[in-house]
Amino acid sequence: MKKKMKQSILHKLNKLQFTSLFVLLLFVLPATAISQTDSTAVAEESSLISPSIDFTSVQKTEAISLKVAFSAKVNGAITKLKGYKIEFFAGTDSGFSKIGEALTDKTTGIAEFNYKADLAKNAADGKLHFKVSYEGNQKFEAAEEELTFKRGRIEITPVKEDSVYSVQLKLVDISTGTETVIPETDLVVMIKRMFKPMKIGEGKTDETGLASIEVPGNLPGDEKGNITILARLDENEEYGNIEAEVTQQWGIAVSNLNIKQPRALWSAHPPIWMLVTFIILMTTVWGHYFFIIYELFRLKKEHE
Amino acid sequence: MKLNTYQQEIFSHQKKNIEKFGKKTWAWTIFFLLWILVGGYALYLQIADGHAVTGMRDNVVWGLYIANFIFFIGISYAGAVISGILHILKVEWRKPIIRIAEMITVVATIIGPVFILLCVGRLDRLHHLFIYPRLQSPIIWDVLAISTYFTGSVIFLYLALIKDFAVYRDAKLNIPKWKQRLYTMLSLGYRGTARQKKHISVSMNLMAIMIIPLAIIVHSVLSWIFGMTLRPGWHSTIFGPYFVLAAIFSGTGVLIVAMWVYRKMYKLNSYITDKHFIYLGYIMMVLGAAYGYFTFSEYLTDWFGSEKWDSEVLSKLFSTSEYGWWFLFANFAGIILPVSIVAIPKTRTPNLITIAAFFMVIALWVKRYLIIVPTLESPLLPMQDTRPEFVNYSATWVEWSLTFAGIATFFLLFTLISKLVTVVPVSEFADTATEEDTEVEEKEIVQPA
Repeated sequence: MKKKMKQSILHKLNKLQFTSLFVLLLFVLPATAISQTDSTAVAEESSLISPSIDFTSVQKTEAISLKVAFSAKVNGAITKLKGYKIEFFAGTDSGFSKIGEALTDKTTGIAEFNYKADLAKNAADGKLHFKVSYEGNQKFEAAEEELTFKRGRIEITPVKEDSVYSVQLKLVDISTGTETVIPETDLVVMIKRMFKPMKIGEGKTDETGLASIEVPGNLPGDEKGNITILARLDENEEYGNIEAEVTQQWGIAVSNLNIKQPRALWSAHPPIWMLVTFIILMTTVWGHYFFIIYELFRLKKEHE
Repeated sequence: MKLNTYQQEIFSHQKKNIEKFGKKTWAWTIFFLLWILVGGYALYLQIADGHAVTGMRDNVVWGLYIANFIFFIGISYAGAVISGILHILKVEWRKPIIRIAEMITVVATIIGPVFILLCVGRLDRLHHLFIYPRLQSPIIWDVLAISTYFTGSVIFLYLALIKDFAVYRDAKLNIPKWKQRLYTMLSLGYRGTARQKKHISVSMNLMAIMIIPLAIIVHSVLSWIFGMTLRPGWHSTIFGPYFVLAAIFSGTGVLIVAMWVYRKMYKLNSYITDKHFIYLGYIMMVLGAAYGYFTFSEYLTDWFGSEKWDSEVLSKLFSTSEYGWWFLFANFAGIILPVSIVAIPKTRTPNLITIAAFFMVIALWVKRYLIIVPTLESPLLPMQDTRPEFVNYSATWVEWSLTFAGIATFFLLFTLISKLVTVVPVSEFADTATEEDTEVEEKEIVQPA
């Protein structure tokens, strides 16, 4: 009897040991991870970090591009905050209303939102008002930033005289009902490239709001020789940034397709080795399938 | 067809399953059909409104559908492993379970590629794949490999069924005429003559040999859709064998679960015994350990190299605010759990092995999702549009409905096939019985009074 009881207790103990091990694996390990996260959160709650918002705008022909560079000083170093949600608001006389949201980019820490130019409405002071905000989390404080600027526009006209190329730029204020030129203001002309535009010249508008800037004729373009010329008013106190662009066939045609790449798989025909391998493989496998089907026919015939 | 006593016993036990559909089966069928109907509505919306109704966007162009595709093709390995390898090795204990394994292979190979069709836009141009194939494209390799594999799987299943069809044909079952005619047609006039046996044996041996390399090629090619690109987390030489191993692993898991269900449902304890679970458990444990080794090797190499984009994908997988918990689950339930359950003698029981296999199969699905989505959320070039729904993938109800419709179709086809053929093959035991016990009495099957 005692022996039986002892065995039963031992059996229960073994069962208990196993159950404990299972519970340990199933719950304790993840729980440890959770508790680590929680303790970090508690420690950080007491000293929230203030993030920094660098809010800029670019007025383009079709849209107003609103950009937020989101960063913070973490452990003594300025760190780009990536993947954080930024909310965008447009201001009117009655207050701000939300127009959208964007996540900060995983590489640059910049959130960008394009607002249709037609939708932008001036406030009573004749200016556009925008606000961005970040709601905060366990680590970072909430933050917001406002931006105010006047509506402006750059008109860009390509000019070709003999073999000399240039662009004529006109800078106008469109914040009121009537358009007025903006004199004595610096403008930059650039060429669009894959990652960042390349500066090719600069000039100042005269009393009629006009500026003329020469464009070199030896710039590499796309396969048709097209180049995109970008005129820009940079960081102006009243207007912020304004951009306009025009595409002209003024460059040298550069086609990547002309470069010989013998190993490329986008050629019209597959490499011979691939074709041979494919034919051998498919013939072998499907040949066997047909042989088996033939065997089945023979099987049926035996019956008949 | 003459059956020995043991065969007759097996057949008598299962006969009612192919004779009657039953209320429970009807209920299941209607339940699955309702799911498929919901999926049908989701598909209608997807076709009418385009892929905007899914969570897939410019950056994350693949989501649930591709995860499901890899998953289903993966579990189709059950047939290749059990039927192919064990057939070649002439392992006797395979016989009661090969039918289930082959059914998994065929059904999963039907459903898997459907998810590709759901993933691509412009289905009206689908025939272009065949009219204008580019042999240089891994997608074409995939189309050819899967269609070849599917054909092979169907032939393999059919070869194994011919003898059984002959048994059903001669048994004078209480079944509708169309079913009787179907059995007669599919049995190809098989009477069990020596020459007929030889034709089947030659064909079966050929297919068993071919199905293994075919299965390996299919999943390698599938992995190359990822591996041939330069994306972080994908561009790896280990991807071919890694996918093949994961596929065999998940296929074994699904086979164990299916065996458990059928054993319980059709009371097949005398044929699908504890031994089958334990042997398949051993296979699962070895595969689990190997899969764990491959997983560790894959992530260690990426982590040690610290290449910028690989590090970004890894940080997502380890971050508890992104995919950390899923990653932990995939590795715990996918590696530690099945290996531990089988390794510890006390837990090496059919029920616990099945539970481990069930969670392992889910973990392997999660793993497929983790291969696809975090990488696509880490593009090499900065994203131009940073709206949250463009940056992070989140599956919509349309994708989930179609996913569940796929699973429902899997179960439905399984249910229907198991009402057409016996789950445990009857004729498979013929040779063994006559070889091992020549004095087995042979009887003609007659309809019970």
